[in-house]
Amino acid sequence: MSIVLPLDEEQRDALQELLNISMGQAANSLAQLIETKIDISIPKISAVTPTQLYSLLFETKDAFYTRQSFLGDVHGEVMSVLSQAGLSEVATLMDYDEPLSKEDIQEIILELCNILAGACLAGLSEQLELTTNLNMPTLFLPDKANFDELQWQHSLVMEVQFVIAISSFSMRVVFCLDDESLARMKDTLDELLA
Amino acid sequence: MFEQLVGKLPVGIGIVDEDFNVVYLNDFFLDRLPHNMRSCYKETPVVELFQGQGKFLKRRLKSVFVLQHPSFSYWEQRPHIFPFKSSRPITGEETQMYQNMEILPIKDKTTGQRLACIFLQDVTAQASYFRAQQKLSEALKKEHEAQRKLIRKLDTAQSQLIQAEKMASTGQLAAGIAHEINNPIGFVNANLNTLEQYASHLLAICDGVKTQLEHFTDDLKEQISVLFESNHYDLLKDDITELITESTDGLTRVKDIVENLKNFSLETTEGTQVVDICAVCHQLITLISAQYSSPQYKLQCEHEKVEVMGNPGPLKQALMNVMINAAQAIEEKGFIKLTVIDAAQSVTIKILDSGCGIPVKNLKRVFEPFFTTKPEGQGQGLGLSVAYTAIEQHQGKISISSKEAKGTVVEITIPKQSTAAASCCEESEVENSQAT
Repeated sequence: MSIVLPLDEEQRDALQELLNISMGQAANSLAQLIETKIDISIPKISAVTPTQLYSLLFETKDAFYTRQSFLGDVHGEVMSVLSQAGLSEVATLMDYDEPLSKEDIQEIILELCNILAGACLAGLSEQLELTTNLNMPTLFLPDKANFDELQWQHSLVMEVQFVIAISSFSMRVVFCLDDESLARMKDTLDELLA
Repeated sequence: MFEQLVGKLPVGIGIVDEDFNVVYLNDFFLDRLPHNMRSCYKETPVVELFQGQGKFLKRRLKSVFVLQHPSFSYWEQRPHIFPFKSSRPITGEETQMYQNMEILPIKDKTTGQRLACIFLQDVTAQASYFRAQQKLSEALKKEHEAQRKLIRKLDTAQSQLIQAEKMASTGQLAAGIAHEINNPIGFVNANLNTLEQYASHLLAICDGVKTQLEHFTDDLKEQISVLFESNHYDLLKDDITELITESTDGLTRVKDIVENLKNFSLETTEGTQVVDICAVCHQLITLISAQYSSPQYKLQCEHEKVEVMGNPGPLKQALMNVMINAAQAIEEKGFIKLTVIDAAQSVTIKILDSGCGIPVKNLKRVFEPFFTTKPEGQGQGLGLSVAYTAIEQHQGKISISSKEAKGTVVEITIPKQSTAAASCCEESEVENSQAT
């Protein structure tokens, strides 16, 4: 990628480490709730253009998408991509009765996103000593044309993947921050590193 | 003051402890509790107080206590978590309240006890509006679909009209030719009759001469015998009658064909009348066997006459199109069998051929206008489509079944008394009124 990452090497490493910890906590939370083992990938941090973000997220086949915004000391959005495969096993773990109605599926998707995104954000905020409040998640059906017309140039994205061990279900959570929040986070990281 | 404020807020606020027992409810919840419960709701399990979605509520509360992280629920997926009636019991369209719920983890500052705060929002108005919009959009979609269907129908009707127009002009042409041919046929026929008489007279004369031969002088006898022999009189005598009979037969056939051609083309009088199906089949066989001579034609009728009320033009056209297809399906040897079955209320005509058959993938498309397997320029793909329309006009049914390399059966059933007069215009009017 030719874009210069707005974080320097040290900041990046620090953020990666913090993410690692908070993602681990998130996985633990979910594992505790549905009583099953969850694997997480190493978090990826990168800078993307709107079009790149679109391909990163929404060109996944057979997937559900959600988005959820957060406010507080840092502002941004969390987007999640959930695989359609294996969802029914997860639903059973979450104590839903078969057969799943369309509404049940939507509810499960939204709840899963809320739990994972919430846990990740809470973990990250705690470590960075920032306060954040997550708003309600909604289902998202993005249009590529709209993405190409977005106003921002680059965004920092933090991506992590969760895989539930006993089923084929997997889920990716991507955090995007706005410019102002990015500046604040850089400051906070510097303070931590100092 | 805050207590009052929270109490009066227009959203439901309820607090439960880790055992899901109620600690606090604001007025929003209290107003909706049975009267006798209002003073003693504390320390009651929340799922007992508000029955209905207990399993779901417990699950969400557990998640909040475990994760210490808010949980959300929307009316779209779960409209009625708490069994509350709509806030407009008299004028409202909905009977139950639509709710959005949010559960937040909180902590009692003095005791450090973990609690969960339930926010409940009444979104009945939005939900009701949203649902009305959805209904509207569905209705629009349906209407749109109906219109598209109508347009497709119109397209089909138009193409058939064009074809009908072509058929009509071809018919006129045929009628003209038939008329022109009739004149020469007339005098040729008359001449042939006279010729036959003359020939028999001539033969009589010659035979007379032959029988009187004994009475002539030897010289004359010799000369006449030579004359007979040199002109091959015996052969000529045998042949001449045969030749004339054959020609008369041929001419009769030509007359038949022309007559049938006229029958087909001249009947432009639109209107319902008695049609004898057997006679039509006879005519058809004569007409088609003239052009397609390789197949054997068989006609099986239970009765001499099988009559239906119908429009002769379209009916004949339909049968002819089917028959031509059958005839074209047979390349060298084969048969075409017409069976007319007279049932009480309807007549069934089966046209069976031992031709090449129709592949399965084409079978469901044969009635589509412009669908043809013939090389370009040889067929317009309208024959069966026109037949279909004609039969439908008579409230009849046409069905086709086929096996490749074995043959094809087309079955046409027409009611004897069609309820509506099978006129084109009326038919389309009926269709229009059904579609709107």
